[in-house]
Amino acid sequence: MNDSIYVSVSTEVLNIQNAYDFVSDPTHGAVDVFVGAVRNHHEGQSVQGITYDVHEGLAEKTFQEICLETQNLWEGIKIYMSHYKGQLDIGGISVIVAVSSAHRAESFEACRYIIEELKKRAPVWKQEHYEQGSSEWLSGHSLQSQATQISERLLEGDKVTAKERAGGCCGGGQGGCGCAG
Amino acid sequence: MSTITIHMKFFGGFRKFGESLDFSVPIGSTVVAIKATLQEKLNGDKLVLDSVLANDRNILRDSDILSSDTELSILPPVCGG
Repeated sequence: MNDSIYVSVSTEVLNIQNAYDFVSDPTHGAVDVFVGAVRNHHEGQSVQGITYDVHEGLAEKTFQEICLETQNLWEGIKIYMSHYKGQLDIGGISVIVAVSSAHRAESFEACRYIIEELKKRAPVWKQEHYEQGSSEWLSGHSLQSQATQISERLLEGDKVTAKERAGGCCGGGQGGCGCAG
Repeated sequence: MSTITIHMKFFGGFRKFGESLDFSVPIGSTVVAIKATLQEKLNGDKLVLDSVLANDRNILRDSDILSSDTELSILPPVCGG
């Protein structure tokens, strides 16, 4: 882990201030923080809480890979990425992703990219607990093609493709391409 | 026929089967063959088909071959965040 990336799987309450403090940097004028929280409904059912199951070793390795990949796409950013393991009540924080950068566009785009990749690639599972007392493990993204996808991401030339997928344009946040920047 | 022992750890939707399961397969079995054996042990549970096997550091390919006693995890489709 380098000093511009922090990843963890935690059984302790996730702390937004810790994320902010880690990515804060005097050369960075923007910090974007994504906080995932447990909501009280899902597909018409009343949810009482969620249990998060995590393969800790593989998850932290996957987080690290996503962070390194993201730093290749948006150079110079700092990243904090932590996911909770265990049971949470409604409103509990399940995940925090914080990104800082010189300008706001990079931090917005990189933060979005990281959380979307986490959802597709990290070995984390949710078991929802419903008002009636039942529980259900949610379906998700299969990891079957992950090894191939990782190799493809590292190929030269994928940088633009990945950034486009994340919704980026000029990436500099300075309005050079005519975006809101 | 020589066999090896697989210690399979369960996550997510496989937790209904407990924490783990030990079973034997022929030495030199591929990952896809181990998944087939596991599916039989789990009463044909179709979740196995959408899942991958991993060791503590990497997801394994279907064609990977195991030649010694091994601890593995079966990872169903993921949904973190």
